[in-house]
Order: sequence, then structure tokens, then C-alpha cells
Amino acid sequence: MLKKINKFEYFAPSTLAEVISLLAEYKGKAKLYAGGTDVLVQMKQRKITPEYIIDIKKIPELNGITYSPEGELTIGALVTHGQFAISKNVPEKFTMLKEASLAVGSVQTRNRGTIVGNICTSSPAADTPPALLALDAGLKLVSSTGERTVKINDFFTGPFKNILKDTEIITEILIPGLPENSGGVYLWHSKITEEDETLVGVGIVLTVDNLENRVCTNLRIGLGSVAPTPMRAVKAEDFLKGKIVDEETIKQTAEIAANESLPRSRAEYRKEMVKVQTKRALSQALKRIER
Amino acid sequence: MKKIPIKFTINGQQREALVQPNDLLINLLRDELYLTGTKYGCGIGECGACTVFLDDELVLACLILAVTVDGKEITTIEGLARGKELHPMQISFLKNAAVQCGFCTPGMIMTAISLMKENPDPSEEEIREYMRGNICRCTGYTQIIKAIKEYAHSMKG
Repeated sequence: MLKKINKFEYFAPSTLAEVISLLAEYKGKAKLYAGGTDVLVQMKQRKITPEYIIDIKKIPELNGITYSPEGELTIGALVTHGQFAISKNVPEKFTMLKEASLAVGSVQTRNRGTIVGNICTSSPAADTPPALLALDAGLKLVSSTGERTVKINDFFTGPFKNILKDTEIITEILIPGLPENSGGVYLWHSKITEEDETLVGVGIVLTVDNLENRVCTNLRIGLGSVAPTPMRAVKAEDFLKGKIVDEETIKQTAEIAANESLPRSRAEYRKEMVKVQTKRALSQALKRIER
Repeated sequence: MKKIPIKFTINGQQREALVQPNDLLINLLRDELYLTGTKYGCGIGECGACTVFLDDELVLACLILAVTVDGKEITTIEGLARGKELHPMQISFLKNAAVQCGFCTPGMIMTAISLMKENPDPSEEEIREYMRGNICRCTGYTQIIKAIKEYAHSMKG
């Protein structure tokens, strides 16, 4: 069963305009193909049987990592995890997204799989979404009738479900600049299985007023694999804002994050690990601000 | 479905083939070119047995459409030896008995060579992390790690 995939018609357009016109024409019958590390697996498992495959790998404008003078980082739809992890265009303050990219799969799948693909698959256990939630990333969705930018926080609707229409393509990820005195971290650990699926992933961006006072002025916590979708731990975020970040408040924040997580299987263990990883991530984020 | 003509370089030789859109690279390698060194394991990107180089990048042949290798260069396990002389990584695997049933070996060796290109002097932890996507059900990995370490050591001279 896993040797063959269903028959389909193959397109390899060279412009974005062609892609969106093909998507508009074939609606739900077409699937976009970039890395193929999720799409082909889903086809082998007969979870999807697209009649048309649109290979977007030949569109140069979708392949770029740019850092603007305003501090915004833009990641194109074709950027692979492997490519991102070694990119020199990514400033050090966004290291956490490199950490999340390196948590994905294996060398072989990272060399092919894209960050945008990771978002589109919308697995609750995906690694880059918690980091992107913490970074407050936006996604640019383009179709033949126009474009819209949505926050990643509004993108996921359920396990493997999202708001992307079958006529739309995500062309890029937009990560806003970080204020001064911000630090970000992504921590994860996995089940020990053949695919090492992430059991708990925690992405954090912490901002303090200055290094003397260490009052938390902003905090975003993204959690992976502990709810039907990647989620923000907003109660924990709100708790720490305005407080001095020290051992005690970090501990309390981590407990609140664990309580608001919604794991189904291995719930008790996962909640405990949310606490542990959030605590560690906050301490490390603080250290990164100090550096 | 109409077949699509593609041109590519395989182990240094230029080739042409006619492929179906739904043919995978592994189908092309094994069923058309009879390069059966690349193994079909899980078929869903978890075991690493079908690991090859595509334009010098380590990839899984089971998760790539054959039609997309048009104009590209592929290296499989068959492309490593120079005539009758094995690649030093192959020799190190043999010397260290890092092969039992042998099914994972081609993929292991491709990944190990890729590691050496990126990091010629890896720690054991770095080796284990890099080899994460290649599964072996016989050896318990000990001899595989040893073979890679010994290779790295020998290259330092």
C-alpha cells in the first residue's frame, strides 16, 4: 500500500499567478507540493487523493529569507527547515525558530520539508507553530480574488485543520521585530518512537523593561502537542506581565501554563512537562536577554 | 496518464527516462534503473533506508516525485565506490561489523557521509542526533557509531 500513490495530473508553474489560477480552477481537487514530506505521506496513507498536484518549487519568489531594516523577518513558502536552520540572514534574536526547525523530523526530512508546509499540515504536535505563536507571526494568504494576512494565533481550528481555503496559498511568514530586552527560546522533548513525535513543545518570547528591574513588559507562550491545536498560554502570559521575573514568579507562571494546557492522552505527564519546560524556557529566555 | 520525459545525472552518468507523474524517485531508481542498493523500508519517511543524495543534499527517495528530479544529480550507494575500491566509509562499516542484515546499511552510509561533510569531527552525541532518521533493527547502533567515529578519526590523519 505504501509503495504507490494515486494517479494525478502534475503541474509545475513558474509564477505565483499561475498557481492561484490553477487553485481557483481545480478548487478542492488540487494539492500544493513543495517538500512533499507530509503531502506524499498523506497520499500513501490514502488520507488525501488529489486529482492535481501543483509543484511550487519552481517559483523563485517564494524562496527567500529576508530581514528588513524595520526588524521584520520574512520567510518564503519554499524555505526548508534545514535551509532556515543554517541561514545567515536570520539574526540571533530569532534563534528560537532555528531551534524549532531543528526539532522537526530528521536531516533528510528537514532538507525537504518547509516551515510553511509544517504550518499547513497543522499537526497539533508540530514544532514550528509554538515558536511562531510566541513570535506573534503573521501569514500571508493569497488567492485569485485577493490576499489577506492573518495571525498564526487565528489560523488553527482543530487537529490537522485550519482556516486556509482550498483556493489559497500561504506565500510567506511575517515575523514582527522584537522590542529591546527580549529573549526567545524553544524547548521540546519527544516520544521515543520511529518518528520521535514531539510530546511537549514550548516556545517563549519574554520582554523585560530593563536588566536591573526585570519587570515583565510582554510575554508570549506557545505550546505544542498539549491541545487539539498549537495554543497560546494566555493566562500564564497575563499573570507574569507587570511582575518582576524571578524564580518564584517563573514557577507560578509555569504552573498556570500547565493548568491551561489541554492534553488528552498522557494528560498528567504532559501537563507536568509543560510546567517543567515552561520554567526552563523562561529562565533561559532571561539569560538570553542578559547576554 | 501521459508519461513525462526527464533527464538527470545518476552516479555521474547522464540518463533519460519516461515517468508517470505519480512515480516516486525510489520507483525510478529500483524499478527502472535497477539500482536496488537503495532500499524500500517504511515508505513514509521514518526509517531512512531509501536515503540518497539529490544535488548534494541528503533526501529520502520514497518521498520525492520522480518527475521533479529533471535536470538534477542523484548519487546512490552504487555511486560511492571507485571501480572495485570501496568508499572509506563502506570499508569502515565492514571493518567494524556495522552490518548485520544489511537492509539499513546503504541509507546509514549515505547519512554518515553527509554528516562527515557537515561536521568532520562529531561527538558521539552529534553522531546519534544526525543519524536519528536512520533506523536499524539489528545492531543496536553500537558498531555503526563506532564505524563512523573510526572513519572520522582516520580522516584526521
